[in-house]
Amino acid sequence: MSEHTTLSDLEAAQDNTTAADVQQESVQNFPEPADAGATETMSMQQALNRALAEVMTENPRALILGEDVGQLGGVFRITDGLQKKFGEARVFDTPLAESGILGMSVGLAMAGYHPIPEVQFDGFAYPAVNQIICQVGRMNYRSRGTLPMPITLRVPSFGGIRAPEHHGESLEAMFAHVPGLKVVSPSGPNEAYHLLKYAAARQDPVIFMEPKSRYWQKGPVNAGADAAGYSPNGSRVVREGKHLTLVAWGAMVARCLQVAELAAEDGIEIEVLDLRWLKPIDAEGLAASVAKTRRAVVVHEAPRTSGLGAEVASTITERCFGTLKAPVERVTGFDVPYPSGDLEDEYIPNIDRILYGIQRVLEYRRG
Amino acid sequence: MAEISFPLPDLGEGLIEATVLEWLVTEGEMVERNHPLVEVETTKSAVELPSPQAGKVVRTYGEPGETIKVGDPLIVFEVPDDTAGIVGTVPKEEAPKRRVRLSANLDED
Repeated sequence: MSEHTTLSDLEAAQDNTTAADVQQESVQNFPEPADAGATETMSMQQALNRALAEVMTENPRALILGEDVGQLGGVFRITDGLQKKFGEARVFDTPLAESGILGMSVGLAMAGYHPIPEVQFDGFAYPAVNQIICQVGRMNYRSRGTLPMPITLRVPSFGGIRAPEHHGESLEAMFAHVPGLKVVSPSGPNEAYHLLKYAAARQDPVIFMEPKSRYWQKGPVNAGADAAGYSPNGSRVVREGKHLTLVAWGAMVARCLQVAELAAEDGIEIEVLDLRWLKPIDAEGLAASVAKTRRAVVVHEAPRTSGLGAEVASTITERCFGTLKAPVERVTGFDVPYPSGDLEDEYIPNIDRILYGIQRVLEYRRG
Repeated sequence: MAEISFPLPDLGEGLIEATVLEWLVTEGEMVERNHPLVEVETTKSAVELPSPQAGKVVRTYGEPGETIKVGDPLIVFEVPDDTAGIVGTVPKEEAPKRRVRLSANLDED
C-alpha cells in the first residue's frame, strides 16, 4: 500500500469544491468533424478501461468502487488492472450491497471526491434506487448548490448476451425521470471513451449506461490529443438520409445502421440519429433531422409503455407537427419482464420489426 | 489477452488454509473448465480442485508442501479479451437477414 496514493494524500491534494464549480451545461448538437485524426482500433471494453485510467491519472480525487472492480477487474473487465495501477485506496471492492455502493459514493462526493461507482448489472441498480433518487439526484438542489454530486455511475445495461434475469434490463426511462440526474449511453468504442471522460469531469451526477452486448466489438477510437475536435454534447447523426429518421441509442444504434443499409436496397434513404444523451434529450438535434426527413421511428429495447420512445415521439411532435408526414412510430421491447435465453431475440427489436415500423410510417396517409 | 486470478476457495465450512500436495497442471498449459488443477489437503481431507474456467495457466502459487490461505491467489489464467464476463456470452456478429421489404410512393414528398 505504501507506494500507492492514500486517502489522506488525496485529502491533501483536494481543493474545496464550491458552488462556483457547479455549472449549468447546455446540451447542443455539434456534428463530429469528418477528419478524425489518428485513431486506434479497440473494443468498447478497452476504450472504457483506457478512459477510466486517464480519468484516474488526471484527477486525483477520482475513485472507482463496486463489486469485484478491484482484484478481479470487473465482471466485464472494464476496470482490469486499475487497482494495480492506482492502488487499493482509489480502486476498491465493496460488499455486495448496491445501496452501500451509492450511499458511500454520496458521502465521498460530499467530502470532495469524484466517485465512479459501478453496479454490476442494470437489474442490480434497484437496491440503490433510494440513494440514486433521494440523495444523488437531489443533494445539489437540497444544499443550494454547496454539495454537488460529481458521481458517474457506470451501469452495464440492456440485453443481448443470453444472461439470466436482472442482467438485461433497460432502465433509461426510470433514471431520466429523476430530477437532477443526467443519463447517457454510448453506442460504440469511440463514443464510450469520450462520453465517459466527459461524464467523469462533470459536477453533476451522470448515469452512464454501457450497452453490454457491444462491449466486444472493435472500432476506431480517436483518443488523446486528437480528441480536441470531438463534441460530447447532444445527439449525433451517424448516417445521413432524407426519407426517414431512425432514432436509437446504445446497442440499437448498430442495429439501426444495418436496417438503414437494407432500406437503401429498397430505395429508402434512412437517417440514423444516435441520441446519446437520454437526459437531457437533444430536442434541437431531433427537430433538425426530422424537419429534413419528415418521418421518424424511434427504437429501444425497453418496454413500450412509458419508455423513452414516448418522450422522443412527443419531443419530435411538439417541434415538427406541421411537417410530419406520419405519427412517430415506436419499435420497442414488450411490457413484460425481460426474458432470459433465446427469447431475447424475440423481445429486442430485430431487423424485421424495425423495417415493419418504417413501412407503417412510409405508407401512412392522412384522412 | 487478459489475466484472471483464482484465489483459494474455502473448501469446507470455515477452513482458513490448505496445503498443496501436487500440481496437476503446468504453467503454459491450456485447460478446459472442470479440468483437475491441483490436489490440496485441508485439516479435513485431501481434495482435487477443478478449474473454474477455460484458459491458459500463466502462474501457479505454492510448491508441494506449502500452505496457502483461503482468499490468497492460487492460480492465474490468461484468457482472450473477447471472452465474456462471468455472466452471459459474447454475441455473434452475423450478416443481417431480412424478410420485410419496404415499398413507398415517395413521389408525393
